[in-house]
Amino acid sequence: MTKLVVTLALALFLMPGAYAAGFEAREPALAPILNARDLSGTSRSLADYRGKVVLLNFWASWCPPCLREMPSMERLRVKMAGRPLEIVALASAEGPNDVKAFLSKMKLGFPILLDTDGSNTKRWKVFALPTSFLLDVKGRVRYVLTGPTEWDEGEALKIIESMLEEPSDQPK
Amino acid sequence: MHFYKLLILVLAVAVSSARAELPDYQAFTAQGTHLLLWVSSERGRAEPEVQAAQKLATQGVEVWSLDPLYAYFLPQLSRSMDAISQQDMADWLRSALASGKRVSVLAVSRAAVPVLRAAALLEPAQRRQIGVVLMYPNLYTVAEPLAAPDYLDLGPLKGLRVRILQPRRSAATPWLPGLVEHLKVYGATVESVVLENVREGYWARETPTEFEIAEGRRMDGLLLREMKALGQK
Repeated sequence: MTKLVVTLALALFLMPGAYAAGFEAREPALAPILNARDLSGTSRSLADYRGKVVLLNFWASWCPPCLREMPSMERLRVKMAGRPLEIVALASAEGPNDVKAFLSKMKLGFPILLDTDGSNTKRWKVFALPTSFLLDVKGRVRYVLTGPTEWDEGEALKIIESMLEEPSDQPK
Repeated sequence: MHFYKLLILVLAVAVSSARAELPDYQAFTAQGTHLLLWVSSERGRAEPEVQAAQKLATQGVEVWSLDPLYAYFLPQLSRSMDAISQQDMADWLRSALASGKRVSVLAVSRAAVPVLRAAALLEPAQRRQIGVVLMYPNLYTVAEPLAAPDYLDLGPLKGLRVRILQPRRSAATPWLPGLVEHLKVYGATVESVVLENVREGYWARETPTEFEIAEGRRMDGLLLREMKALGQK
């Protein structure tokens, strides 16, 4: 009986809102440094994408939810062609061989960066995969999402559209 | 509404803690001198864990397998582990020590919390007799993107020997050094090993790789090596 009471009480206490999904709006704050290499070995930083809204996605080739959302990121890239949006996928703490093996099976048109030593993962304080950040044109973090989503529809698309509509010289 | 939820929770925990009792566990008896307490993760006891326990028993290692959330009828959430009675767990550890066998404990994921907190309740001399293997322990209080990790308070662990087994393919791997330091702050002696090419819970994944399947079948061997590394074999 005691255990049953404890169970019911804990279920009541723990369940509601325990895993509320969705984007978390953040007070605009300058993004941490991003210092990574792409698959050709070229060094990349956020400065390369200045003046654009950036979707920065931390992922890994061994992470099923990460792989599930990748096609929607590619569809988003196609949908947004010609608009100032950059999609950047950073392979968290993973070497180039695993990433290349994955990319041989799924063709993606957006840049893939390597974070082999996990230093960017630590600098951005990423504890779960996938984790995504939406940065405005001034390089400030505006939204955070832990977990996968369909990037080319619904809330994700609405937020990205709203960020693209912001005047570049007068962000919120 | 939140006040009433909290009130119910407090009352329930108070009733529960008023009488400590040993949790229900599954025993795989053996005649040898070693005893492994295997505490499953919040995902529950998987069949490969049972098979590994059976194999260990045939090799002389008795196994007491505990699925804490099942034993306490708790929801399968990592935070449920934090509500497991520390006193019950400490009594369980004392009961294992009273068997006269050399005692090792394996705790998977968030099960590390009740195990470590129970170890903190032991007398220092009892704590020194136990070796603990933590498989990808989750000790976070808060782990929010862009914020430094915060870890749970555990209590005194001086004299406790801990080995952490961390799958390489885990979001927690880059954070392993901080976790090790956190355990050391409480006085534990800590070593860590990275398990290459496997993910968390590799023995019970929905879509395991061939390598994970093979490693899942070799868990008995892994644990025998870990018990030896802890000086328990």
